[in-house]
Amino acid sequence: MTLEYALYPGCVASVRELGYEISMRKVFKTLGIELRSVADFNCCMPACLVHSFDYKRGLALTARNLCIANEADLPILTLCSSCFGNLSRAKYLLDTDKSLKQDVNEILGEVGREYKSGVKVEHVVTALYTDYTLKSLESMIRTPLKDIKAAPFYGCHIFLPSRYLKFDDPEFPRNLDSLIKVTGAESVDYYEKTSCCVGCGSFFGELSDKASLLLAEMILDSAGKQGADCIITTCPFCIMQLEMGQIRLKREKGTDYKMPVMHYVDLLGLSMGLKPKELGLDIRRSDMTPLLSKIDIQ
Amino acid sequence: MVTSKELLERLIDEKKLTYCENCGMCTASCPLTRAIPEIYNPRILLQRVVFQLDDVIKKEEFWLCAWCYRCTERCPQGIQPTEIFLLTRNFAVEKGYIPSNPKKIFQEIIRSGRSVPVFEDFDDWREDYGLPPIGTTISEKALEEQRKIMGEELIRRVSS
Repeated sequence: MTLEYALYPGCVASVRELGYEISMRKVFKTLGIELRSVADFNCCMPACLVHSFDYKRGLALTARNLCIANEADLPILTLCSSCFGNLSRAKYLLDTDKSLKQDVNEILGEVGREYKSGVKVEHVVTALYTDYTLKSLESMIRTPLKDIKAAPFYGCHIFLPSRYLKFDDPEFPRNLDSLIKVTGAESVDYYEKTSCCVGCGSFFGELSDKASLLLAEMILDSAGKQGADCIITTCPFCIMQLEMGQIRLKREKGTDYKMPVMHYVDLLGLSMGLKPKELGLDIRRSDMTPLLSKIDIQ
Repeated sequence: MVTSKELLERLIDEKKLTYCENCGMCTASCPLTRAIPEIYNPRILLQRVVFQLDDVIKKEEFWLCAWCYRCTERCPQGIQPTEIFLLTRNFAVEKGYIPSNPKKIFQEIIRSGRSVPVFEDFDDWREDYGLPPIGTTISEKALEEQRKIMGEELIRRVSS
């Protein structure tokens, strides 16, 4: 059976992380997964923004996207963990709180829409793990990355809170590790594996800037000490934070981590024998050369 | 409709708060506390939300939470600091306390439907990489519905 999704592009991936979008589209196409473009989605309303201003109107705006996916009769697929978390949160709250659903539907009624339960929300990584399955991925591997030590960085909104995100264990997540192992690479265990980049809250000026840089330093340091060749994330926000963090750390402190940061699909794509350029690896902030030199690419 | 203050009260659930054992699990789990402990401490912030709500909304600290949900995940008493801080922001907005950065991004969402602005020729650039166009704003229809869902009052509050 062919897997088919309504692609929810989000803003960070389609505006700031084109390399990741290129890679994701190429990998999914090669795997035979269909991505449908659906018109008229709006922003997922990052929780820390519109929800912060008005809880219910924020929720209604997020739910509007679920209504659209429902009409298209397709599961929704996000490129970003933040979108995944927000859409899943809206789905959970509306499916479990009747009076909240009533209020939100009252707002949605103003634009002729109604939230009905039943929409499936997936993320690039959860879709690969849950829907495509590890076993099918295994059969697609052409060039196992046996010399690569990859440090998984889970991020937050793919598995927390477990109240509505059921992808992985909330304390000891391991699905990204399993996905990395499928590519033939070694999954590195390190202290900051399940830490947070604070990217989703990095809007609020100097203090959040300061916090995100300090955390980026801890994460890069910890992965580097365990001999990781690259950090593998599930979220474009984490890529941005960890790459921009390296640029700032080099400028402000003179520390150059030279740590390539990639999304899981990049690693998967390489192990499927796809060329770095096909995966948009030539337009990243990180220098991928040292990593690629360790992979046997024809 | 329920106001944010009422929602906040429902979520704080005073009875439940008396169950707070002051164990500090929230603070120990918070990535922000790891980075800026002198400024951000969810355990103390939560107490201040309960006992000094009118004061706390004048400060910007509770806008720092990045929604990682670790405190909510781990609270042994089932208190949800993440959602509580979110509703505290709603209450602050109602009272007219809006920090400038979130306000700016909100204005961008009102204008283009995106939290990340897209420059004029961006689609040419995407085309060079074989990616479909996304437009400088979300579709007209989506923008119009977004405007209606946000409502005039909220838009006015954020635009001023």
